[in-house]
Amino acid sequence: MTKTDTMVNLRKRLEESESLLAMTGCYDGITNLECREQDPLKFETIHMKLRASCVSAREIARRISASPGVREVGEMVAALYTPEGDAIAISNGIMVHVHTMSRFIKWMIKNDYQDDPGINPGDIFANNDAFIGTVQVPDVMDVVPIYHEGTLVGWAGAVCHELEAGGITPGGDVALAQERFGEGLFICAEKIGLNDKIRRDYIIRCERNLRMPIYWILDEQAKVAACFNMRDRVLELIDEIGIDFYQKISKEFIEEGRRTQLARVRQLTIPGKYRANTFYGHVTKGKPGFQPLGDPDWLYSIPLQMDIQLDGKIVLDFEGAQPWGYHSMNCTPAGMDGGMFVTLTQHMNFEGLVNDGAWLATQLKLPEGTWTNPDSEFCATATSWALLLPAYGAFQRMLSRGFLARGFLEEVFVGQVNSPMIEMGGISQYGKPFGIAHFECAAAGSGALAIKDGLDTAYVGWNPESDMGNIEIWELDMPMVYLGRSILPNSGGAGKYRGGNAFMSTWVINKSPEVRIVTSEHSSRVFDNAGMCGGYPAPTCQMHRVVRNSNISQRADARKPLVHSTGLDQNELTMNLEGDHQIIEGPHITAPMKAGDIFTHSYNGGGGYGDPLERDPILVLDDIIQGQSSRVHGENIHGVRFKGSIEDATLEIDLPGTMAARKQLKDERLQKAIPVSDWFENERGKVIEGSFAPEVVKMYRAAMNLSDSFSDEFRTFWQLSDSFAFSEPKQGEDKHG
Amino acid sequence: MDRNQLEEYKLLVDGQLPWPQTKNLMSSYKDRDRFFKILAIYQDKVQWQEKILLPIGENLFIVQKGKEYIVKCTCGYEFGDYRQNWKLQAVMVVRKTREDLERIYPHSDVCDPSWMEIREFICPDCGTLLEVEACSPGYPITFDFCPDLEGFYKEWLKVPLRSE
Repeated sequence: MTKTDTMVNLRKRLEESESLLAMTGCYDGITNLECREQDPLKFETIHMKLRASCVSAREIARRISASPGVREVGEMVAALYTPEGDAIAISNGIMVHVHTMSRFIKWMIKNDYQDDPGINPGDIFANNDAFIGTVQVPDVMDVVPIYHEGTLVGWAGAVCHELEAGGITPGGDVALAQERFGEGLFICAEKIGLNDKIRRDYIIRCERNLRMPIYWILDEQAKVAACFNMRDRVLELIDEIGIDFYQKISKEFIEEGRRTQLARVRQLTIPGKYRANTFYGHVTKGKPGFQPLGDPDWLYSIPLQMDIQLDGKIVLDFEGAQPWGYHSMNCTPAGMDGGMFVTLTQHMNFEGLVNDGAWLATQLKLPEGTWTNPDSEFCATATSWALLLPAYGAFQRMLSRGFLARGFLEEVFVGQVNSPMIEMGGISQYGKPFGIAHFECAAAGSGALAIKDGLDTAYVGWNPESDMGNIEIWELDMPMVYLGRSILPNSGGAGKYRGGNAFMSTWVINKSPEVRIVTSEHSSRVFDNAGMCGGYPAPTCQMHRVVRNSNISQRADARKPLVHSTGLDQNELTMNLEGDHQIIEGPHITAPMKAGDIFTHSYNGGGGYGDPLERDPILVLDDIIQGQSSRVHGENIHGVRFKGSIEDATLEIDLPGTMAARKQLKDERLQKAIPVSDWFENERGKVIEGSFAPEVVKMYRAAMNLSDSFSDEFRTFWQLSDSFAFSEPKQGEDKHG
Repeated sequence: MDRNQLEEYKLLVDGQLPWPQTKNLMSSYKDRDRFFKILAIYQDKVQWQEKILLPIGENLFIVQKGKEYIVKCTCGYEFGDYRQNWKLQAVMVVRKTREDLERIYPHSDVCDPSWMEIREFICPDCGTLLEVEACSPGYPITFDFCPDLEGFYKEWLKVPLRSE
């Protein structure tokens, strides 16, 4: 095999590796797993050592970081790569970045970094440019080359999600960015350190361009420490097994990963064509700070097709996706990779063998010019999760259809949901400027399973180790005091098994004259998740209930009860607090708040599974008693009838009444339902007339302009002529009107 | 099949398997013949005779009927050839007013009905809610899954699809 040393042209080596893959179908031309065949136990042991070095490096780094996002919530990952930049082993954490860091390393190789600025022992490189290789600006990655006696034998890399990125709005996910130029501090594949030391001028740049540089800078130290730690472990391993064997076996791990992925698909799913779609609606009309570059309010459809081929390859096609836009929710191919990978780690690659082999066994089709693959590198990607999460939730439902069909019911999962985020900045409770992203969002409700309810407040798609963090820690880092964290009743989608419920938080602004709170990743106009097999989507993103100039201090002084949530009927604040009450549809982009103001924020629940009328009445009763759902929810949707009341603890199921009610509800369904053919005739007329909301028409028009196959399918379904198109917008109807 | 395993899988299908056993099932290596075991359980549960070839939903199966492969509901209702979208043969309720939406989303903010509607696909015979779509008005009905049935049986299971 080729030995890569300082004299080897890395770019040529990478091209050779890609050529070998194309010729043989196997990673780097490795057609036989000789190391594994010779000694399978040694093979596994060495892989586990490498993986353990990633895991322990991540834990070390978490203790260096100052950021509650990294320390509390674990928004970090560490990984090892081949000299060509292919992932060999990865830690737990934000496993999104299996291939994003790979893209970053390959980008440097392809751009001749070996010549200028040089790739030398002790160098440290950083990147957060999604067009080079990451998901969004706050995902800042560091990589260091690993040299052994003058030979480049690999790379160690780590990513932390930064809580403040220095963008147009405070925090990391810069919601208001409409172009790249508002997203914050970009580090574009930059050599930030030499001789194992981060450069002082880089630190100064961070200090002068971030609202809360301590997070970013200490995270840099944490990541570099993690990389050095992994580097030391790799060099120790090389001393133990020899350089030639290390180079050989590390590549076999990747080829094995490719084969494992294909085999796992053949084992767990069914070949065929799977379809799903989801939607996302964005509302910024009239909100301050919005630049008139694109539509303030817009609707995206996100259609997906997954083909599972007979060889086990998954091909995920986003044909029909919407164009990229002047908002922060676009995504680069690197980010799309990330979304797919973190999803696969939860369904296919859960035994630890997560590396670039899986990437080689899957394929993403990302139409150019869409939000999945923008043809302008000026576009913003700061909140790309807003579209990634719904998209990969739909991917999970398609995979789950395969699990269901294959009989692996315990693996069926209705999927991930969006997690609206809070970013903030202003003057802290310590009287100093600050900025932070609040990461308690890392604990949303999950989709239901085919055999049980989803997880309540314990799941997000992007980090399988979900954690909301302790209230007391968050209170140290932001000028807000919790009045409550409460289960959000009915927030999971209904079904035989309901989606996991979300929670809401209620705060009072504390000891600050100015806090700018900006939230992102809301889909309040449309459901951006779905149910499965008769389950309903979870509710849309809930609105913010806010009280400015509240009398909370006076209530506290008078020893009156405080308010801990908006309550089931959303009226706890209005009933108990004086002040200026506001209901704000997300994203929350408005004037700064100050001490004494009340802010509430709700997260999302997951979609349901199965017909809600098949839900065990005992589960319905239990949910009501636990405060997970309301009585009217149980009656309307599940058809359960009760005796007694929750207030005096006498609530119980009226079983005969329930059976009668369920029969009646089914009868009503059938009476109300119409044949699809009847619906079709009526709807077709509306399609021909284009008699939908302007945002809906624009969505169809945009998809049809970008995609011939979407147009063909749309016309075929509605039996329209080949020339059918939605009329162009009238003056005053479009973005600049 | 191992008797204990059969009982375990019956409980799994019914959603009654205790969590520790479910967790074991999730974490263990997957049994290679799970498909046939689960198929046998489904076949035992339904009241009709056609051979189940593939489950495709909580209450939907592709079955062999004569020389045809059709989609059938647990209740016995037949939706036609599996290569056609069964939803087109269902009956449907569309929730496109705020009142209709709030009935199933009490105490919650709901979607804007001019941007999105809920489509409920229902078995015309038993009234079971088989699938729900949340999509914009005018969006074509989604064909969720068209399996490569022949390829699956021939290449992956290595058993004949058709039984005489």
